[in-house]
Amino acid sequence: MNKLWTVISQTYANQVKTWSFLLFILSPFLLIGISGGVGYFSGKVSSEQSTDQIAVISKEKSLRTSYIKQNKSDVKPKITTTKAARVALADNKIKGYLNLTTQNQQVIATYHGTEAMNSSLKNKTLAFLNSLQQSLNYRQAKLNQNQAQILAKQPNFAQKIKDNKNSTKKIAGTISFWIMVFMMYMILINYASVTANEIASEKGTKIMEIIFSSTTPANYFYGKLLGVVGVIVTQIAVYLVGGWAIFLGVKHLKVVNDFLTSSGSLIKEVLADLLNINLAFLLFGVIIYTILAAFSGALVAKAEDASKAAQPTVYLSMLAFFLTIPFQDNASALLVKILSYVPFFSSFFMPMRIIDHSASLFEISLSLLLLILAVVLLAAYVGHIYGGLMLQTEDTSFWKRFRRGLAYSK
Amino acid sequence: MLTIKNLSKRFGETQAINDLSFNVYPGQITGLIGQNGAGKTTAFHSILNFLNYSGEILWNDQPITENTLDEIGYLPEERSLLQKMTIEQHILYLAKLKGKRAQAIKPLINEWLEKFQVKGGRKDLIKSLSKGNQQKVQLICTLIHQPKLIILDEPFSGLDPVNADLLKNAVVEMKEKGAAIIFSSHDMSNVEAVCDRLVMLRKGRSVLNGTLDEVREQFGRTELYVTSEWPFEKLQQLPHVTEVTQLHQAQRYLLHLDDPNAGKQIFATLTGGQYITEFSQQPPTLDEIFRMKAGEVDE
Repeated sequence: MNKLWTVISQTYANQVKTWSFLLFILSPFLLIGISGGVGYFSGKVSSEQSTDQIAVISKEKSLRTSYIKQNKSDVKPKITTTKAARVALADNKIKGYLNLTTQNQQVIATYHGTEAMNSSLKNKTLAFLNSLQQSLNYRQAKLNQNQAQILAKQPNFAQKIKDNKNSTKKIAGTISFWIMVFMMYMILINYASVTANEIASEKGTKIMEIIFSSTTPANYFYGKLLGVVGVIVTQIAVYLVGGWAIFLGVKHLKVVNDFLTSSGSLIKEVLADLLNINLAFLLFGVIIYTILAAFSGALVAKAEDASKAAQPTVYLSMLAFFLTIPFQDNASALLVKILSYVPFFSSFFMPMRIIDHSASLFEISLSLLLLILAVVLLAAYVGHIYGGLMLQTEDTSFWKRFRRGLAYSK
Repeated sequence: MLTIKNLSKRFGETQAINDLSFNVYPGQITGLIGQNGAGKTTAFHSILNFLNYSGEILWNDQPITENTLDEIGYLPEERSLLQKMTIEQHILYLAKLKGKRAQAIKPLINEWLEKFQVKGGRKDLIKSLSKGNQQKVQLICTLIHQPKLIILDEPFSGLDPVNADLLKNAVVEMKEKGAAIIFSSHDMSNVEAVCDRLVMLRKGRSVLNGTLDEVREQFGRTELYVTSEWPFEKLQQLPHVTEVTQLHQAQRYLLHLDDPNAGKQIFATLTGGQYITEFSQQPPTLDEIFRMKAGEVDE
């Protein structure tokens, strides 16, 4: 156990202490930070340079004040004169200015601008003017309270929206599907080449003989594998914890709040699709490809061939990845059902079915069980022949090296 | 004691080891010699459980297991270290794989670096060391956990005479502490200098096995070193002399005999009852035995 732990910690430290790992793991956060920062600063600069606000000019102070009170965010209150408003408009500091006045018990509003008033502000302005005109009319008609109340009665307009939960679910499913397959593909492509490289480079140095004179090849292989799994788990954990921390940090921002209000149910659906048994399929999927990559790495003759060694794993994962695309809207197809039980493919296809809600608990459990069984059997087999593969260094064909490795194995 | 009984290993059509049997005793150094491809490394790999084989390999009457590996120190033929580690990290990593605790090994590192005169501090990266110093660090990794069985595959290869002496001293020191040591070598002078026993392999078979004296005596005292005023041609005509070699010193010759018993008669003929500077009848050197056995045709 101590020897296994020594290999695990050595492999883990060897991977985690590299700049490439740090960059790889931090890159999504850096991207979010950079794009967020750029968005924030460009927004700030543009808001400083131009504005959607208008000025309101009126000789009647109460009229101006009540308009500003109702439309606080749309008005630049510091501009009080027509002359100042014209200058501000020329300098592009306001979108326009609104002249408010009452003449013969009629409210008169004139908007001056380079473009028409935006529809939202126009609606708000019309509502303000209507209400103002109405109160002037009541006052002029000398209506009693009862009459005024009757005239103030508004029609009742109600909207009954049909439940759109299914369409949200569908959109969430599509988003979850793409996040899932891309995450799977990107993580396993990265770890397949990392593992193949690490193992092939050790083979070239022949340090293996020294290590195998201390611990069994199978033990060493399991240590390496668990070390890499540790790195993968670290990466997933950093993304989960980091994502949560970022969410906590930005959730009070208005833009995020608005987004959460408008798309809250969609986000909940996507998170529910991803943060469930699919994570287990992701983890074991990456592990089984990592074992295959280790096996490929052990079969090269020299370290320079390491990139070639990862190719079978990369091609297989590409095949699985591209096979999912035609079925993204048809998760109940027969091929999808079959491949959702086949290790190496099931980590792509079963999550697809889970997201589509077309797999039963029994089917999910069976698929996961088969995947775990395949991981255990493949790890045991590669561990068994690992010593032979790592110790033979003949630069012959793939199959000769493989056969020689098998002959060497105990 | 390491016991190897009827060891055989085949790679496809190639019989790498064929019914090999020998022992490696505690407190003794055994030399495993043979030409390239004779099966020396395969024998070592069998002892270390790297491959499947037929026959029996026992350490203190028990099969070799992962726990037994902790008692073994192994230096492979090609030197190899983890270049990105420091000297200390490397030594500790391999010692931990031998079941040692870091706290037990750490205090010993400086002592071993001094003993092997390694030019570099414990915090220096392996890749910053010269090839010679890397070899020394690898040797320290092989020995620092005080193994009871030491297997050295071509340990002198690539070492300069000074470093070869450092290695010989270390190996002899380990032998005196009771370790059973086996090493392979092409250089018979090193084998002659440190070995107590010798096993020679040819095409996977043992063709010689015994102490150095036993092995040499098997060939009889057929080498005659003489310093004589006799001319070269006359020496060639002596009875039972098959070949005469002029040695570097003046009037010094090596006479090869076809019968070890002919020495007495040649002595009488050469001296004629008079004083002679040198007359020494010896068995062949290990180098000659190696050439002889390596060149033998299979029956």
